Amino acid sequence: MINFFLITLGKSIIALSRSFNLGHGSTWPGHIALNINKNFIKELIKANRHLKIILIAGTNGKTTTGKLIQTILENANYKVFQNESGANLFNGIASSLLLHSSILSTINYDYAIFEVDENTLPLVLREIAPDYLILLNLFRDQLDRYGEVNTIVSKWRRAIRHLLPKTKLILNSDDPQIAHLGTYTHSRWNRIDTSVFYFGLDDKTLHQDSHQHAVDSTYCPKCNSKLTYINIYYSHLGNWICNKCSYKRPKLDLSKFHIYPLYGTYNHYNVHAAVLLAKIIKIKEKQIEKALRNFKPSFGRQEVIHINGNKVQIFLSKNPTSFNESLRTIKKLGAKNVLFVLNDRIPDGRDVSWIWDVDFEDYIDQLESIIISGERCYDMALRIKYAQKSEIRNPKFEIEPNLRNSVNLSLKKTSGSETLYILPTYSAMLEVRKILTGKKIL
Amino acid sequence: MKQTLTIGWLYPELMSTYGDRGNIICLQKRCEWRGIDVQIKTLDLGFKIDDLRLCDILFMGGAQDTQQKIVSHDFSKEKVKVLKEMIEDEVPGLYICGAYQFLGKYYKEADGAIIDGLGILDLYTENPGENSTRLIGNIAVKFQSVILSKAKNLRDPSTTSQDDIAEKTLVGFENHGGRTYLGKDIKPLGTVIKGFGNNGVDKTEGAVYKNSFGSYLHGPILPKNPHFADYLIKLALEKKYKKKIDLPPLDDFLEWNAHKTIAKRLGI
Repeated sequence: MINFFLITLGKSIIALSRSFNLGHGSTWPGHIALNINKNFIKELIKANRHLKIILIAGTNGKTTTGKLIQTILENANYKVFQNESGANLFNGIASSLLLHSSILSTINYDYAIFEVDENTLPLVLREIAPDYLILLNLFRDQLDRYGEVNTIVSKWRRAIRHLLPKTKLILNSDDPQIAHLGTYTHSRWNRIDTSVFYFGLDDKTLHQDSHQHAVDSTYCPKCNSKLTYINIYYSHLGNWICNKCSYKRPKLDLSKFHIYPLYGTYNHYNVHAAVLLAKIIKIKEKQIEKALRNFKPSFGRQEVIHINGNKVQIFLSKNPTSFNESLRTIKKLGAKNVLFVLNDRIPDGRDVSWIWDVDFEDYIDQLESIIISGERCYDMALRIKYAQKSEIRNPKFEIEPNLRNSVNLSLKKTSGSETLYILPTYSAMLEVRKILTGKKIL
Repeated sequence: MKQTLTIGWLYPELMSTYGDRGNIICLQKRCEWRGIDVQIKTLDLGFKIDDLRLCDILFMGGAQDTQQKIVSHDFSKEKVKVLKEMIEDEVPGLYICGAYQFLGKYYKEADGAIIDGLGILDLYTENPGENSTRLIGNIAVKFQSVILSKAKNLRDPSTTSQDDIAEKTLVGFENHGGRTYLGKDIKPLGTVIKGFGNNGVDKTEGAVYKNSFGSYLHGPILPKNPHFADYLIKLALEKKYKKKIDLPPLDDFLEWNAHKTIAKRLGI
């Protein structure tokens, strides 16, 4: 009965919030519901046993992977919903359930996809026994908020020990720490009901020559010795082996697909995760192909916006790895005009030290125009200054603290046939979109 | 003759989080812009003691616990001995966060377990327990006056008088669970204006022993505090060339603006 009231209340808040353009109301209603009934999520799921739940966690790629899966499932005529990107704490999940439930607690959908914050995952697994759990990667990210990668890994290990046998685990075999999580599932149940599936990459054309700087997990998750990489795809992801204890990358269940709707090696992984899940669900390859051909990116993730005859593409760049991958990708695309926007609000991480872990030195040579904005624009400018080649002080850059002006200035510098690439942190991405589209999201 | 400096970077693969390498980049560039040749010597697992001895400045950053244990294992008695000799011999060095704690006597973990430090600096660090909060946030510190007066004469003439205030401060971002307490043989790097510092209680931040500096400041510390970066370079050159050195000024417009962004945030 209480949930009837909570759902009604929540839905009204969402409606109000949207009609007054206060955003999508993606966390608030859930927050209130959980405050009044802490078992809200559990009860709602229990009342909807037909609903299959897919959880996605990892530092980078959650939103895109979720969107890929949603597109594939919908194309196969399933009814699917997903929590709003960024609303990936308990309150976001509760809000999403609430929004898609009738006031009688019936959820008339086949699949729910929830992206889950790294720290929240162990707590969520106590409330929700997912049908599928996808773990993408772990990189250095917002150490002020998340703590160190090792801390998260040990929390995840504990959580995975308690998974019910029905949960199918889909793991990135190229990330040693993630792959190793697959060995933790049987310890409690002492039988191999919980199936573990691995995706990774086997593609010679994507091998990378050297290590990027911000690399965390190059030590064997079993014996702590230094790992040997037969090849690296990016950061610490690749085909690895421990020469000491012989632990190596698990056998891949999926290492290739032929359609990649987004640029960049990192998106190959996201596509593989989504396709592997689709294959486990037994969706036909033709249907997967068709879905991927029609895929539209999530906001800010290589999203293209046309404005006054200019093409703008936004590459959310929120931590060293994602920034490196954005830079690598736009370099391949022949980028000339770039706008960097660095903020230090809570969703961005208040500590901006991480920009010094980004390998700007390797990627900015070819750029003709760099504009820098955001609340920490001077920090970003400093980073670029110290990444310039000493003698010639190239490439040149300009600082424009006012974001709107910086967007205008960048557009002016971009000729009609060229693309303006915007690399913002999370809150900056939302602001940039708002300026470009005149709409507020979240 | 062209001046040269060798910067020794201790465990770049293991002890490098929070953009620590920005400090190396900063020292390197600020030397190069002045025509000083720089060699970066990376001292990773299994490094040779002779390579350590070659260095004119040392730097070591923070790390995750696992990594720190691996480093601890690699730091043989001979390595500790040589590092101690160099520190006693006034070789300039900067030790951030985990490295700063590591130079002290011990680190008491949240569960009470004691990890021995290198015992070179008279300080110790304790984590008050699982339920204690980490000390996280932007921080501003008033430079200890003795260092300030020594560093003062390399003031950049292009900066105006309003930068006097900036020059007296160090700004950065701290993020540590351990609380560090200084012994009587060691001075703090500065006094906390806003933030937590060594332990959140006694208003001290960092430590200075001879020409070695320990600090909790990330950011990284040197790019936004160019006066401190130049002071380290000056110390290293003076020691190496055994004469007084005046560094030519650089255009530090961006450096001071980044510095002031934090100062403004903290209302100072």
